[in-house]
Amino acid sequence: MKPTHSNWQIFKNGIFTENIIFRMAISLCPSIAVTTKLKNGLLMGIAVWFVHVMVGLTVSTLRKFIHPRIRIPIFMLIISLWVTVINLVMAAFARDVYKEIGLYLQLIVAFASLLARSEVFASKNKVTHSFMDGMGMGIGFTIALVIISFFRELIGKGSIWGWEVVTTKPLLISILPAGGFFAVGLLMALFNWMDVRFGKAETHH
Amino acid sequence: MKVKEMTVKDFIKIMINLVVIYIAGGAILVVVYAKTSPVIFVGDKEEKEAALKKMIPEADKVEELGTWEPHHKHAGYYIARKGGEDMGYIVETYGKGYSSYIHILVALDKNLIVQKIDILAHAETPGLGDEIERDSFKNQFVGKTLEHIKLVKVETEEDIQAITGVTISSRAVTDDAVRNGVKMLKERLEVKG
Repeated sequence: MKPTHSNWQIFKNGIFTENIIFRMAISLCPSIAVTTKLKNGLLMGIAVWFVHVMVGLTVSTLRKFIHPRIRIPIFMLIISLWVTVINLVMAAFARDVYKEIGLYLQLIVAFASLLARSEVFASKNKVTHSFMDGMGMGIGFTIALVIISFFRELIGKGSIWGWEVVTTKPLLISILPAGGFFAVGLLMALFNWMDVRFGKAETHH
Repeated sequence: MKVKEMTVKDFIKIMINLVVIYIAGGAILVVVYAKTSPVIFVGDKEEKEAALKKMIPEADKVEELGTWEPHHKHAGYYIARKGGEDMGYIVETYGKGYSSYIHILVALDKNLIVQKIDILAHAETPGLGDEIERDSFKNQFVGKTLEHIKLVKVETEEDIQAITGVTISSRAVTDDAVRNGVKMLKERLEVKG
């Protein structure tokens, strides 16, 4: 990507052009594990959003200070720092949710998207741009998780945010891991189709 | 990026890099930990007290009788009293499930008949293993004695019926956690006379 993009373009890039889930298809493991319920999907998304923004800011601030030879270990240290912070904060102030997604919160450390954005973007761009990149990536990820978990909960449990809406027997496969891959694949296909059909301007900016 | 020979300057710079990141990161974590750990600790304690109270709500006093170690974890067993009279027992126990240790409280009356079980924590498969939290499963334990706390995979009233597709977690709750917990309590009470 050219460094001349405006903040708004960088922001949109994370949501559409390079959406972590639907476009880059990385960080799928935790996304499939937590998206069995809309609530878990949303909170996981918010946690990743926070980490993305903070890592982007930190890496970008330190980009001239970090020696190229050890940039990857340093990125990992920064990522694990912010993951630990959100982990502790959620354990203290969102106990109920933490009980369900705590395990996957710690796994954010291994998110490919965090390392990828640190290496590709934040270490080469100024702080404001990196902030917008983190916001875009984080919100794009959150939106993706919300869409996936909405459909999986609806089909697999017959409920939305815990409220029963369908009384017929739900389709169990939707909340099994395999169903997660199906959901992601179908939504990815839908987004690609929409892109080809309507979104020419979006892809070729 | 061109790979250059490492010079002494590079070594020093890398060292400074790491030291600064460690110290700054460590400092941030110290602050966050100091702020959050008391909240977590109080929350854990309150949660446990509330959970014990919920097991036998009529009791006005719950006292620890002793401890035991299911799966090498620290767990206690308690006696519930009301106005100096023994009402029943509460056993804290763990079962090895599909992907986690399931943390359970079992309430029993004086004759060691199960009154209630409560699942405090687990990390079983979301949407599948967590079916063990359903009341329809947990209520099966009510009124059971030790002999009937066993898992079967057919429809049953006498024993505990497994949840379809959740056999491992159901077994962990029934055969591992609850049965061993009740057995332990029975043995220790007999020893005491």
